[in-house]
Amino acid sequence: MRVSKLLAAVSFAAIGMASAMGAATAEDTVAVIVKATTSEYWQWVFKGAEAAGKELGVKIDQLGTPKDDAAGQISVLESAAGSKPAAIVISPTIFEALGDPIAAVTDAGIPVIVIDSGAKTDKYASFLTTNNEAGGKAAADAIAQCLKDRTGKAAGKVGYLTAMAGHESLDSRDKGFLDGMKAYPDITVVGNRVANNEEAEGMSLTADMMTKDSDLVGLFADNAQMGTGAGASISEKGAGDKFCLVAFDSDKGEVEHLNDGSIYALVIQDPYMMGYAGVWYGYAAAHGARLPKNVDTGVGVVTKANMNDPKFAGLLDVTKRQMSPFTGG
Amino acid sequence: MRSLLQRLPVETYVIGFTLVLWVILSIFTKGFLTGDNIANIMRQTSIAAIIATGVLCTIIIAGIDLSVGSVVAFCGVLFAQLCSHGLDLPWAVLLTLAGGLAIGTINALAIGRLRIPAFIVTLAGLQVYRGLALLVSGGMTVGGLPPNVKDFARGATLGLPNLFWAMVVVGIVVHYLLSYTRRGRYMYALGSNAEAARRQGINPIAITVLAYVLSSGLATLAGILMVSRLSIASPSMANAYELQAIAAAVVGGASLFGGRGTVLGAIAGAILFTTMSNGAVLLDVDPFWEMVIEGLLIALVVYLDNLQKQRQTGN
Repeated sequence: MRVSKLLAAVSFAAIGMASAMGAATAEDTVAVIVKATTSEYWQWVFKGAEAAGKELGVKIDQLGTPKDDAAGQISVLESAAGSKPAAIVISPTIFEALGDPIAAVTDAGIPVIVIDSGAKTDKYASFLTTNNEAGGKAAADAIAQCLKDRTGKAAGKVGYLTAMAGHESLDSRDKGFLDGMKAYPDITVVGNRVANNEEAEGMSLTADMMTKDSDLVGLFADNAQMGTGAGASISEKGAGDKFCLVAFDSDKGEVEHLNDGSIYALVIQDPYMMGYAGVWYGYAAAHGARLPKNVDTGVGVVTKANMNDPKFAGLLDVTKRQMSPFTGG
Repeated sequence: MRSLLQRLPVETYVIGFTLVLWVILSIFTKGFLTGDNIANIMRQTSIAAIIATGVLCTIIIAGIDLSVGSVVAFCGVLFAQLCSHGLDLPWAVLLTLAGGLAIGTINALAIGRLRIPAFIVTLAGLQVYRGLALLVSGGMTVGGLPPNVKDFARGATLGLPNLFWAMVVVGIVVHYLLSYTRRGRYMYALGSNAEAARRQGINPIAITVLAYVLSSGLATLAGILMVSRLSIASPSMANAYELQAIAAAVVGGASLFGGRGTVLGAIAGAILFTTMSNGAVLLDVDPFWEMVIEGLLIALVVYLDNLQKQRQTGN
């Protein structure tokens, strides 16, 4: 009896301490919830978030589902909100599905910073994103430029490779690409294939598309997995100097293929900035700052010619990223 | 007629289907019957066929291996890390293969000794090895590999892609093991009737270890080949490849109840799938319809195969 009382007292004390510690740390925690923890892109978001966390002296909770999974992400969001962090930074997996859960978190008094992809609600503190349509259009312009450089005129058949069907940000890129191509009447878009967000499948599909249209001169790959796969296919054929491949993002595989000439240009986003600024914004919102509703984190177009430009160094390799003071422009 | 149907080997339907598809594609597309495209199909098939050959071994003993996709990713990432840290290529290959063999042994002992169902053990493996792939790579693509890593997959021997030769060698070795050795016959015996096999003095654990070591070992080889082909390793690669491999083996005549299946069938199944996706691009079939048609074809081939099985058993 006495033993059990003692045990009870000890466990109460332990629970009390744990909850006190939990309460103390939660206020200084920013939860960062990404779409898929298994992708390099989202690791860059985490790296940016960690850097901001270090500067602000807050703890960063790196959360998310291993693969795109809207239901799983809603559970992660709800349990993160339950621990009452100072703010939540989230990239919604599916536009429709995450709208209400994000609104509920905002209603509960936790500021939400949405990054990368939107959600169907206006109850959030700020939305930091790449303008994906503008990125797709930049890809169209890059392919046209490549064709002009190599053949003298922007003409020929091109295709595009979609990583997954039904993803808001990928759909926007493809739409931007198709709209952008309208400016080049001599370029015809002949094919579109959807891969399983798998490098090897992107590689096979690229080869098959080039077999179907033996006069295919260009291809747009709409994310890092597709870019790596398509790049490997062009590199295998040794067709880099004849073929105009432009891809989104900049993971290691893509940068290698940019280097060996298999990829003509990469349309790069700034995931590090989304994580970094997302945490700063969340912290600011938690302390009462009023934030702009929409922030464009920008896209850049990198070719082999300008890839060594210092301004791209940290965008192509996150380990070289250095945040520099404001310089204007 | 009836006796002829009874004597048809199990892989008849899958080979028949593939040949019909080839004839159709040769007639209706201009790109199919070209040297380049045939070489593409050979390269695209071989990795899936090697994985399917391994999974087939577990299906024959009435088991299953759901972990192979994750093993491809984990061992691929491990191999890439070893190479990018300056280990010589042969050592990196040997160490990675040793890792794959260890995984197979662990799976088999959990199934054979601890008596956990194969489905559960390898489902757990599917999670564990994907997680380890992420840990070993830090969630990032592993790049910066020395050029000799990609030489194998890019190269050709006697005019045919090296990847194709890798599949042929694996196929011949495993076929020999299954059809011409005592251990191979024990595998079929264990899969047909475990109790009877035990009474005959077959050591079920030794045979289980053999099957799962083959499965993980070949998945590991596939991982190395995939890294050679892509010149990077990604922790998310080979997602759901276990299902493709099982589908290839089953379409090729293997029975999920065990005791039945051939290497030729599994490889033909993998070739059929590659042909379908290649054909879908060449014929410009809508990608969403492609998935529907592929699924229906799997069901049709297995249905026809089942009809034949019923004839053979005299029902």
